[in-house]
Amino acid sequence: MTRGTGAAGVTAVIGLLEIRRRKLQFILIALIVTLISYLVLMINGLGVGLNEQAGSALKNFDADAIAYSERAGLSVIRSELSAELVAEIRQRFGDESSAPLGYLAANYQAADGEIDSAAFLGFEPGSIGEPKVTKGRMLTADDRDGLLVDRSFLRYSGLDVGDAVRVSIRLVERDYVIIGETNEGNFFFQPSVYLLRSSWQELKYGKSGSDVPAASIMLLKGKGTAGSRGSGWIAVDKSTAFANIEGVSGQQSTVQALRVFGYLIGGLVIGVFFYVLTLQKIGQIGVLKAVGASSFFVFRQVLLQVLAISIAGVAIAIPLAWLTNRALQQVPNPVPIAFTTGTFLVTSALLVLMAAIGAAFSGRQVAKVDPIIALGQQQ
Amino acid sequence: MTVTLEVSGLSKTYGSGEQAVQAVRDASFSTQPGAFVAVVGPSGSGKTTLLAMVGGLLTPTAGTIVVNGRDIAGLSRSQQAAYRRESVGYVFQANNLLPFLTARENLLVMAQISGTARKAARARADRLLAELGIEGRAGALATELSGGERQRVAIARALMNDPGLVLVDEPTASLDSARGRQVVESLIREVKQRGKLGLMVTHDMDMAKLADRILAMHDGLMTEVEKS
Repeated sequence: MTRGTGAAGVTAVIGLLEIRRRKLQFILIALIVTLISYLVLMINGLGVGLNEQAGSALKNFDADAIAYSERAGLSVIRSELSAELVAEIRQRFGDESSAPLGYLAANYQAADGEIDSAAFLGFEPGSIGEPKVTKGRMLTADDRDGLLVDRSFLRYSGLDVGDAVRVSIRLVERDYVIIGETNEGNFFFQPSVYLLRSSWQELKYGKSGSDVPAASIMLLKGKGTAGSRGSGWIAVDKSTAFANIEGVSGQQSTVQALRVFGYLIGGLVIGVFFYVLTLQKIGQIGVLKAVGASSFFVFRQVLLQVLAISIAGVAIAIPLAWLTNRALQQVPNPVPIAFTTGTFLVTSALLVLMAAIGAAFSGRQVAKVDPIIALGQQQ
Repeated sequence: MTVTLEVSGLSKTYGSGEQAVQAVRDASFSTQPGAFVAVVGPSGSGKTTLLAMVGGLLTPTAGTIVVNGRDIAGLSRSQQAAYRRESVGYVFQANNLLPFLTARENLLVMAQISGTARKAARARADRLLAELGIEGRAGALATELSGGERQRVAIARALMNDPGLVLVDEPTASLDSARGRQVVESLIREVKQRGKLGLMVTHDMDMAKLADRILAMHDGLMTEVEKS
């Protein structure tokens, strides 16, 4: 059997030629790399997804800082701002740069009769707390029974714009109508639902007016808002606010640990594979060094193989992870996995980098091979 | 490239104290370009150690190895690698070709190691394979070649970078006697035609007799054998 040599390529890359000629061996290694990359990508996607579920709506607020009642300990659940505090904060930052926002977790009845929960956010139309409507229309001051719901709410509930929805809290039940759809994401691991602040007061406290808390938090916009404080309130930037969402920091550190272990184990497994492969080729490495090849020359071939295999593995894993996520999103309660271009790029780069670091094990072995073994060895 | 070789008082001791083994003792000889020297001896006589020292694979315990006026006995590891790359061509026992490469590619690897231009390297590889009568097998994998063909490719590989010194380690170990003789004859012819200096280690006296000179090793001591 005669092979086309393509001399230009031949002299350039012995390592790649070996991959071409020993397909099965390298396909198996690439398969392992693909599976590891897939696993790490899914973990990273889960991290992003959980993050979004935790409070993408908070991140999407048109604000730089969130003000809480001082004694709430940066908890949206425990924070309550009186009408006086809201007025004070408004006076300090101006109506255009501040907006009260009420929060309440309440249940609603989905189209199939199932009871589920959502985050009800009371806002004032025209303020910086107003969400963007993607379908239907914005609420007016007259829409006391109107709701703007996140698209994920519509997906989970089976309802649509124009449908009526029954909301219950404690022993009270109220009927609302979905006026519009938003795409602001989740708040506190629940789909966000926007209603008028006065409606929120009625839903939460049974009445509206100045003798009940006016808001849970205040959204603040502008330089110097984060870190500001007053009598009975304190403001922090959005990142701090996000990190203080109950359960978020524990969840994120768990995902982060999984991610780090994924990279470490990935790099280690790839490194070990190539180390074993290098051990199997000690005789050939001895011959190459005996005829004058430097350790660096030989290591370059190993590194080239590691890079080629890890890049191929990652390149296969990316569409696999993407397709898996697509499939998972079709189920009624989808796993919160989300991918961004950044997730793919950073994860891929780190995996390839870890593989290259893993290849350093082989580099040490290559350097240790004594070319004298080329003499007297039988093939 | 042509070289002269002068070995003087060469010794190699493995281990130390009571465990010390003197593999080569005070060996001396010199040769000129175009000469083909055979080193014979039984296993453990020190002939391969001698070859390894001349080839820059082992550092001698004592003595000098002067190649073209330069003593290579005290070279560092990287200097030894450069010396092997530039001045030495090896034909190993059982040829030791890279099995996943074709005959031609095994030669081109040498060019890659030495940094020779690709086009010139390819032309030289094809010419060498043609001169050794295996041009038709240039595209065959090393594993698809017969023992004789592999050994011819190994000879071509040894000549690829135009070294002055061609060192040969038991070239007929995996061949029958007729094929072994053919290989050694072609090896000697190629070395002499190119004005190289050949040093072949063998335990086969019949093959050694094909060389210009025969040096015998026994328990590390070297003696010259008169050719009959």
